[in-house]
Amino acid sequence: MTDPSPEQQAALKQEIALLEQKLKHAKAQLNDAVQEEEAVAPLLYHTSNELPHNTTSTLPTHSLHTLLLLSDSALPLGSFAFSSGLESFLAHEKVKVASSGNTANPSQLSSFHIFLKVSLQSLASAALPYVLAAYREPSRIEEWDNDFDASAICTVARRASVAQGRALLSVWERSFRDHHTLTSSSTSTDAISFLASFSTSLKSSSHNAYPPNAHLAPLWGILTLILSIPLHSSAYLFLFSHARTVISAAVRASVLGPYQAQHVLASTELRDLMKGLVERYWDRRTEDAGQTVPAVDLWVGRHELLYSRIFNS
Amino acid sequence: MISPFAPSSSQPGHGKILLSLLPPSIPILQTCSYQYPLKLIAPHALTINNHIIYTVFLLTYGGGLVAGDALNLSIHLDPNTRLVLLTQGSTKIFKTPSRELVSRQYTRLFVDQGAGLCYIPDPVQPFKDSCFEQVQIFEVPEGGSICICDWVCQGRTARGENWHFYKYTSKNEVYLTDKETGKRRLLLRDNVLLEDGTTNDPLSYANRIDSLGVFGTLILRGPLFEKLGKYFMAEFAILPRIGARNWDGDVDDETDLVDVKRKRRQRQETKDGLLWTAASMRGFVLVKFGAKEVEGVKRWLGVMLRTEGSVETLFGEGSLLCLK
Repeated sequence: MTDPSPEQQAALKQEIALLEQKLKHAKAQLNDAVQEEEAVAPLLYHTSNELPHNTTSTLPTHSLHTLLLLSDSALPLGSFAFSSGLESFLAHEKVKVASSGNTANPSQLSSFHIFLKVSLQSLASAALPYVLAAYREPSRIEEWDNDFDASAICTVARRASVAQGRALLSVWERSFRDHHTLTSSSTSTDAISFLASFSTSLKSSSHNAYPPNAHLAPLWGILTLILSIPLHSSAYLFLFSHARTVISAAVRASVLGPYQAQHVLASTELRDLMKGLVERYWDRRTEDAGQTVPAVDLWVGRHELLYSRIFNS
Repeated sequence: MISPFAPSSSQPGHGKILLSLLPPSIPILQTCSYQYPLKLIAPHALTINNHIIYTVFLLTYGGGLVAGDALNLSIHLDPNTRLVLLTQGSTKIFKTPSRELVSRQYTRLFVDQGAGLCYIPDPVQPFKDSCFEQVQIFEVPEGGSICICDWVCQGRTARGENWHFYKYTSKNEVYLTDKETGKRRLLLRDNVLLEDGTTNDPLSYANRIDSLGVFGTLILRGPLFEKLGKYFMAEFAILPRIGARNWDGDVDDETDLVDVKRKRRQRQETKDGLLWTAASMRGFVLVKFGAKEVEGVKRWLGVMLRTEGSVETLFGEGSLLCLK
């Protein structure tokens, strides 16, 4: 047997380097997943009847407390004013049904179920990567906000995102901040200063051609980091809040009754969908975030054309 | 075994268009080069309202891309030059043997100040079981103008294809480099991702497109298209309200020709199932549209662009060839 030529050796070396890199990446991913699992498991899957004595096996009480605050529909973000395109979607469905003349059309309820799914799908692909990015790299908050602004290409959706993002910032500054500056970790302290300087430039940069906007997704990411909520929970809650808002809008639009609404919100189907979406977009870079449901842009954009409206989006 | 031949310097699918300005102010098509499977055809330049307009047809052998084809195009417009890009029929994306084997089109464009690019091609037509990725990256300094249409249809309707491809993604990004700091800022990212769907669940591509047969985006920026952008915004604002009753019936004020034409267009929009929306943001006007069929979009966009008139005045009738 002859020795491999220098070229073959080089090729082999390159292959080894590549495989080592892959191994390293896989290990890192496993590590992340395990850490997440540990952080989230007690909160989501804790089933024991005993009060856990070991404090490391459960979410710290202050994180649980803030998680509950953020998931409360009374959090003053004004989310109740937005239907994320549901109202417009229903109006377009009505026109379609009327023009098709087909009597065997699906009920409003079944089209709502489709809407809820595509709406979550759309939010997860377009906004979730920014939640994750702002949590992982809070120092780049201005950049995440700018890039999200560049990608939010619909007037109505921009308005909704900015209104809720700014409200979230106010909630932090007026309600949460006093309780967190002293007790928090060093990552959290850094993030607080990044958020503070972002807030300052938000208030002072009216002369700038492309001023900061304070979109909800990046602010959600940085704020949940400050509040020491595990990343997975933050991402899941981001989707959950959206689902809750859309379902609540459906109740007010008389598509669902209140019990039906809770039934949908509690369903394993919805839970699995959101869990799957968090997994799917976990490693998605913001450069590759985008619209996976093109119809959402049309529905949300045409919300302004509705003859009568009860929502802002 | 090592090849005794020097590696080839020509790369398949690569193309380059360079429109430069000879002093004092004569634009010339300095470079127009291409490699199989890409083909560029540049007819004679036209003079329209004292401006020399160059036109380049982007073609591919076989009228489309087969699995694994990769086009890599670089386009540069010097200050005050004008270019029209066109296609000859829809860009077909052929079936791939495996989801991993993707057809790609990557385009970089630089449109300098005072320059104008008009790029209204035919739609992309992805066949059943095809994979396509498109990335178009624009660098547009202040004063540069672009009018870009990027659209896609459901496939071969005659064969019952209805968004039955594996994957279609199209990303348009516009950047601006700050002259003082040299920092590159993202101005716009329009990224459509249809990449993980199945054909029958609630998240099928057809559901995500609201059962339309075609959809797309029109991107307008810069001084040359400012008037056109305003026109789209104004027409959007006065579209008929959804869910409104029409109390007076279809009585037109026949003395107002603009209004008669507008009403006619709006009635045609309803007939074609055409939905559109326009947004003005960050110096752009962005128009999103969808319709039942390609013809519907061609009718609507053709009427919109011709009625307003900027594109034909600036770039000539030929610039709207793909909407015929």
